[in-house]
Amino acid sequence: MGLISNGTTIFDNGSMASGFGGSLNFISKVTASSSSSIEFTSGIDSTYKEYIFYMVNIHTSGDGDNFQFNLSTDGGSTYAVTKTSTFFRAGHDEADTTTELTYITGRDRAQSTLDQVLHQNLGTGSDESMSGYLRIFNPASTTFVKHFLSEVSANNTNNKLEQNFIAGYANTTSAINAVKFVTSANLIESGDFLLFGVS
Amino acid sequence: MPRFKLVNGVQVQLTAEEEAARDTEEAAWAAGAFDRAIADVRAKRDRLIAQTDYLALSDNTLTDAMTTYRQALRDITNGVDTVEKCNNITWPTKP
Repeated sequence: MGLISNGTTIFDNGSMASGFGGSLNFISKVTASSSSSIEFTSGIDSTYKEYIFYMVNIHTSGDGDNFQFNLSTDGGSTYAVTKTSTFFRAGHDEADTTTELTYITGRDRAQSTLDQVLHQNLGTGSDESMSGYLRIFNPASTTFVKHFLSEVSANNTNNKLEQNFIAGYANTTSAINAVKFVTSANLIESGDFLLFGVS
Repeated sequence: MPRFKLVNGVQVQLTAEEEAARDTEEAAWAAGAFDRAIADVRAKRDRLIAQTDYLALSDNTLTDAMTTYRQALRDITNGVDTVEKCNNITWPTKP
């Protein structure tokens, strides 16, 4: 039995019609191991219009570290692309004493080459970590600036959960071809980074 | 102890230049610990005060307890001059 919508066959006898929908295409996976940074200098090109990094159970060695990223237009020789961004978060602690929905002025960027923070004050309890994603749109464009979006859920210090929402753009019309993840200090002890292209 | 970065999954030892740059970043981060801690305290204070701002409108009279609570919040950073003090603040209870 097929599924037809507005005259277009979407499913035909259980199979999805060709040309319908897209997919996540796995590119690479890196597992941190007491690493000072995680860099992707290949796999980010004009093949896809969108790339997604999934960050799973990122655990750092320094209590209260920030977790952040930066971009490169020279294959990873330098990570200092000019960025403008926004950062707001929702928070709630285990004791139910703090709830918040706050714009974080210190973590946004205004034409800055500094790393973009994805989470601040990471907790380092043995069961604490950060997970989320970073999406970068059309990094190979030489016409447009490069927009990015990130959402993460993370254990903060003081037994607090924070959900961060970051949006911004790399203010360059040069192609972005490398991405680096790093902490403000100390090491990324563990965690998986998975890179996908969206087609 | 040497540090390593992962480049496309391959472990690469930091160069002397990269080690020095990382040392500088980490020193700057450590030096800013109090500034970050007190900024968090101020942000929480501002949030808590804002949550009771509606009670301080001109057509409402604050109770003594609420006045005391809001003043305690305004004074919360008095004498707080170390990271440890920032982390051990006793916050007033909302009436």
